[in-house]
Amino acid sequence: MESSMDKRLKKRYAADRRFRIYGLSAVAISLLFLSLLFISIIGKGYTAFQQTSVLLDVYIDPEMLDPEGTGDRALLSSADFGALIKQAMRKAFPEVTARRDKRALYRLLSSGAEFELRNQVLAHPEQIGTERSIWVPADGSVDMLMKGAISRDTAESDRPLKDKQLVWIDALSSQNRLKKKFNTTFFTAGDSRDPELAGIWGALVGSILTLFVTLLLSFPIGVAAALYLEQFAPRNRWTDLIEVNINNLAAVPSIVFGLLGLAVFINFFGFPRSAPLVGGLVLSLMTLPTIIIAGRAALKSVSPSIYEAALGVGASPMQAVMHHVLPMAMPGIMTGTIIGMARALGETAPLLMIGMVAFIVDIPGSILDSSTVLPVQIFLWADSPERGFMERTSAAIMVLLLFLIIMNASAVILRKHFERHR
Amino acid sequence: MEEIQADIPFTSRYSMTQQRFTGKNAVRFDQIEEQEIRETVGEIRLENPRLSCHDVNVFYGDKQAIRGINLDIGHNEVIAMIGPSGCGKSTFLRCFNRMNDTISNCRVTGKIMMDGQDINGTVIDPVALRVRVGMVFQKPNPFPKSIWENVAYGPRIHGLAQTKDGIHEIVVKSLQQAGLWDEVKDRLHQPGLGLSGGQQQRLCIARTIAVNPEVILMDEPCSALDPIATGKIEELIDTLRKNYSICIVTHSMHQASRISDRTAYFHLGHLVEVGETKTVFLNPLHPLTEDYVTGRFG
Repeated sequence: MESSMDKRLKKRYAADRRFRIYGLSAVAISLLFLSLLFISIIGKGYTAFQQTSVLLDVYIDPEMLDPEGTGDRALLSSADFGALIKQAMRKAFPEVTARRDKRALYRLLSSGAEFELRNQVLAHPEQIGTERSIWVPADGSVDMLMKGAISRDTAESDRPLKDKQLVWIDALSSQNRLKKKFNTTFFTAGDSRDPELAGIWGALVGSILTLFVTLLLSFPIGVAAALYLEQFAPRNRWTDLIEVNINNLAAVPSIVFGLLGLAVFINFFGFPRSAPLVGGLVLSLMTLPTIIIAGRAALKSVSPSIYEAALGVGASPMQAVMHHVLPMAMPGIMTGTIIGMARALGETAPLLMIGMVAFIVDIPGSILDSSTVLPVQIFLWADSPERGFMERTSAAIMVLLLFLIIMNASAVILRKHFERHR
Repeated sequence: MEEIQADIPFTSRYSMTQQRFTGKNAVRFDQIEEQEIRETVGEIRLENPRLSCHDVNVFYGDKQAIRGINLDIGHNEVIAMIGPSGCGKSTFLRCFNRMNDTISNCRVTGKIMMDGQDINGTVIDPVALRVRVGMVFQKPNPFPKSIWENVAYGPRIHGLAQTKDGIHEIVVKSLQQAGLWDEVKDRLHQPGLGLSGGQQQRLCIARTIAVNPEVILMDEPCSALDPIATGKIEELIDTLRKNYSICIVTHSMHQASRISDRTAYFHLGHLVEVGETKTVFLNPLHPLTEDYVTGRFG
């Protein structure tokens, strides 16, 4: 009797231990995959935060920029700075004379070099007529070579940089005129066809504007709907029907919402395409069911005794809900909102349908401007053939994840704030 | 028997039932169980009542929980409502401040008159009624806010004082009346949920009297408390009777006999007997009452 009891007890403890090991290994496996993901993204993307620049001695020739010496800014900004850059390159390599070779030489610099020079001259017009050393961005292929992504061992016909160009690069390098610097362009520019000029800022602003519209619409509407359905609506066939439909809406594939947005907001209402306003509207439709379901669950979990207590001292049903039930349900509603917003941030498919996949260089200034968003930008870059976009894709993913973390962290802080004031 | 009869004002209904139940255990308990209509024995009506119920029925959907109850509740009296679980005493109590309105399939018929007006009528708004008829619940349910906020909430939404100092005065007075002031005066701004169970219940009583009601309903206020906390609440009820009418539902017959002026015994939705507490406990008129108070069932 005694021993059989002991045996069974031992068995139960063994089962206990086994279960704990299963749980631990499940956690370990998920952590492993998560760290693999991070390592691969960071390993591929960290190089994008640096960009190769070339130090160029440019004679800022007044004859070419402003022959009459008017100092007119409009005239100055439309002047041919590209010619100055080419002149400087020819001076740096006087031995290059053939036209084809010259063109190959110019290709070592990014097309953004002349903008760099123009910005500097416009900021300091007094420099006209002097010779200046300025750092200008190198071409994407030079950047790739410096980062080791292009091997010198491959056959000349298979690599974007020819043997002659390699000689010039080595010459620049030996004069300390080639350097990797922090890539500010990536954080300040919009999209570009040239990887060295492409930045994430346009997509980031687009994402912020879109999510702003989404939050502004879906949070109040979602909370109001949850409040009405949970606290005030009579229980009958109609409210049951509404509940079933909301639950179904939460499971509808997002591309369907995109088509809906295209048909209703763009074709019927005539809102501008590719705009954060339409993106926000579509994502609100998608986020609403999540917020309503989470909101109702949170409201349901508030003890009815609090509602009764408020009624008992003579609060109206509205006051009882607004003063007591809603504040207590707020942390739960916030959690639902975070989940919904996080999903909206990562959503690509519905935004493709409303034109946010367009190639947009300008930084959007309002919710009516054309723009793109972070996940669509990642999709676009991942699709681009240039070698330089590969690292930028990973870097953009890092920015997206960081944005997500910041968003979630601020929501957690807000939730803690509400919990403290219970 | 002679003495008791002298205390009880005769009604025709009373004399009828009185005759029927002359002699203890004249009719056996199981026989009574079968009777559909049960007349209340004892003193139903009072002179100048505060609340007066006329043929009150409560239905939950098709199920009838309260069957034709007539009862008066006087000024400054404590009336205890006793009876076995599920007999409808809490449901009946919740009729007085129309708390049953919050239950979707619940229907109340009959008249409950307060100062000459039917509280179920259109003249009295349920929100305004709940200011006049306060309620203390079975489980202490302070708001998840500070002690001060808990008491100040009612006066603030009803605009009983215009300034913060005025509200504070009401808070202090209510806490003093509830006998909680000395224990919490140094931590008014700490959460109400940090108090002990008994203190929380007294906080709920303070919250109720802060809006200056005329009647206080208590739904088993001590069922979640230990004997010491219960004793304190009972003392408190004894002091509150000077200013308020108190209806208290209780499972403890000792409590009912200690604190109440009158006692009403409920059985399966019927009000079986009501009378002076001493009478109900010592010389019950109805055999069901007798079985219950002597602990034979329930």
